[in-house]
Amino acid sequence: MSDEFDLDVLAESFSEFLEGEWPKEKAIAYERSDQSYDADLWSAMAGLGWTALTAPEAEGGLGLGTAAAAHLHAALGAAVTPTPMLGTLLATTLLGATGAEGARGLLAGIIDGSLRVAVAEPNAVPVQTDGKTISGTARDLLDAPGANLLLVRIALAGQPGWVAIDADAPGVSIHRYTLADTTRSLGDVTLDNVQIGEGRLIRPTAGAALDDLLTRQACVAIAADSLGGGEAVLKITIEYMKVREQFGRLIGSFQALKHRVADHHAALVGARELVLNAATIPDDDDGALLAALSTKAHVAAVTADIARDCIQLHGGVGFTSEFSPHLYLKRAKLNEALYGTRTAILDRVADMLEAA
Amino acid sequence: MTQTSEALAPAIDRTAARTFDPLSKVGDEQAFRQEIRDWLAAVLPADWRKQWQQTRESDLGGVMTWWLEERRKVGLATPHWPKAWGGPGISFAYQIMVYEELSRADAPELDIFTISLFHTPATLFEHGTQDQIDRYLGGITQGTDIWCQGFSEPGAGSDLASLRTAAIRDGDDYIVNGQKIWSSSSMHADYCLLLARTDPNGKRKHDGISYFIMDMKSPGITVRPIRQITGESEFAEVFMDDVRIPAKNLIGAEGNGWNIAQSTLSTERGLLIFGSTERLARSFALDRVDAKDSWMRDVGLRREYAGFYAELQAIRLMVRRLLAELEANPEKASPTLPTFIKLNWGPFLQSYSEFLVRAEGLEAQKWQPSIPGTGHSSRLRFNDFLKSYGWTVAGGSNEIMRNIISERILAMPRG
Repeated sequence: MSDEFDLDVLAESFSEFLEGEWPKEKAIAYERSDQSYDADLWSAMAGLGWTALTAPEAEGGLGLGTAAAAHLHAALGAAVTPTPMLGTLLATTLLGATGAEGARGLLAGIIDGSLRVAVAEPNAVPVQTDGKTISGTARDLLDAPGANLLLVRIALAGQPGWVAIDADAPGVSIHRYTLADTTRSLGDVTLDNVQIGEGRLIRPTAGAALDDLLTRQACVAIAADSLGGGEAVLKITIEYMKVREQFGRLIGSFQALKHRVADHHAALVGARELVLNAATIPDDDDGALLAALSTKAHVAAVTADIARDCIQLHGGVGFTSEFSPHLYLKRAKLNEALYGTRTAILDRVADMLEAA
Repeated sequence: MTQTSEALAPAIDRTAARTFDPLSKVGDEQAFRQEIRDWLAAVLPADWRKQWQQTRESDLGGVMTWWLEERRKVGLATPHWPKAWGGPGISFAYQIMVYEELSRADAPELDIFTISLFHTPATLFEHGTQDQIDRYLGGITQGTDIWCQGFSEPGAGSDLASLRTAAIRDGDDYIVNGQKIWSSSSMHADYCLLLARTDPNGKRKHDGISYFIMDMKSPGITVRPIRQITGESEFAEVFMDDVRIPAKNLIGAEGNGWNIAQSTLSTERGLLIFGSTERLARSFALDRVDAKDSWMRDVGLRREYAGFYAELQAIRLMVRRLLAELEANPEKASPTLPTFIKLNWGPFLQSYSEFLVRAEGLEAQKWQPSIPGTGHSSRLRFNDFLKSYGWTVAGGSNEIMRNIISERILAMPRG
């Protein structure tokens, strides 16, 4: 399926569905809802197979790769959806890498969307465990408040790994942080003598390579999310500038404004190339991680700057929650902070360039 | 300043010279590339940058002609020419490989032949008469003739169509009066592709412009080189005072000059910018190696350097896409991509070269003569920085690019 699959057609189908199911009005209204994700939207996506996108065909997934995931995340970013899809992508990779029997059952739940997974970043501070029970706190776990499965980073006898924990297991409590970006949330997960179930321990043999793969996929997905958001918020802003009049003229005719728009558009054309490139490099290519990290740092910053300016270009209405640019700004700023701030990533990019 | 060219090639053993024939390897990509690499290692002096830097401007034509001649010996003077023009007729993919290998080896650019090798043949073959082709093509392929372009005027820069140089028919001649500016290499040129107004009463300002071949040795022509902020002179002003151009030197129909100029402006099909971005990529990689014991040890500058990596990659990927689209079908290639490339590339060059000036401190302040043939990657920090305005101002300034993007591409209202 994967080889001849037309990704452009797929991308179009993502956008078309979301334009109908998650229009601007819903996105704006959702901000005040105090939910951790939108259950109807999530099950509709699962029904369309979006949660099965990268799962292996042998397990009932669609078997598509990082490029397909990038198109999906670009569409999610464009529509600012409150759906924990990043966790689905990463959990699919993580569970697929274990080969353990216990992972299979979890994978089925991820594929059908019944499991919403919060996955710790590979460089999260690990929670110590003896492999039977686990106690400690995993801080700032993305999308944990709405999740029913938690993939927590652990250290077992000095070796890094992961453990899959049901969010409602005895001894688990989650402190929810509401974020400026209400489409996502963070949780501090406290584990108090939680039993580790059969097959729930993930101890990868090639740990560093798996960490790199997860980082790479996350960075590509976040960069794609930012790209979609940047393109969407600029489009909305241009449309507004074509109808809003001041001093008897459309504000889109003012050179001081439209030149900024032109710069933003040109930056996004370059950003799109970076995302497509980072998403299509084979997993085992030496350059895959460098491309993903540098792309994430760059594209997240580009979109954050664009979204910031789009509020300014909207003027007074941009400052009201009734208009959507603020949703994009908030999401863009969170994307900048996830999986390494710009400075942290650039230091790593410099390391990689010097080592090359 | 580090001269990196030393590392390029092993010591040249000229006694063991063999003949090189890359064109015979077309069809085998690896062999083709290897033949070009071997040839470059054999003919390109490791210190060519130093030699060219010491060349006086008046002798520049000579050294560049030498390099064109070396390329001609192996059939690579005009790798982009189709067979009908007398070129090798290799596929676009192989043309790209030639440019890639030339950039990788830091072979000199042939700036002063840009018009001769790209615009003139495209114009002659598309719009010229057989007599014009027969008369002028030989001088180009033999590398004896240098061509320039007489388009811009003091009052017609970004707004080219408002040009005022007048050509008035007088028997078998046109009599031309006016002034051109920013005419690259015109001080070295033998011929000029000239745009002049033959009908001042056209309905639109684009009407009434005609396209001529002007012999630069004609009486009445004065060429005054423009000293640039880099200290060198790549352009000149060309003054025309009752210059007679034979009517047979008109290209295409009288009054059709604007359309002809538009159709040949982009004849280089992305190859020149490709060469330029690949050269910069090579230079970018060397910069961090050269600075490993200096500014790459400063956490802030190192981070800033790393930030440029994605910007450069984005531009290289855009250029690659442009080439891929042109290779697949020139008719279907994105008409907007070149504009986006330009508005990314110019500002990138400027900010990266400014960064290097800042990072290298007083060392970068020490003035050195420019190095011809190195484009925007001379690696003389201040020169490259100043020269970057060539991309932000020339060929449609950033501001014009922003108008084009916002009004023509994004359909925002005109001011």
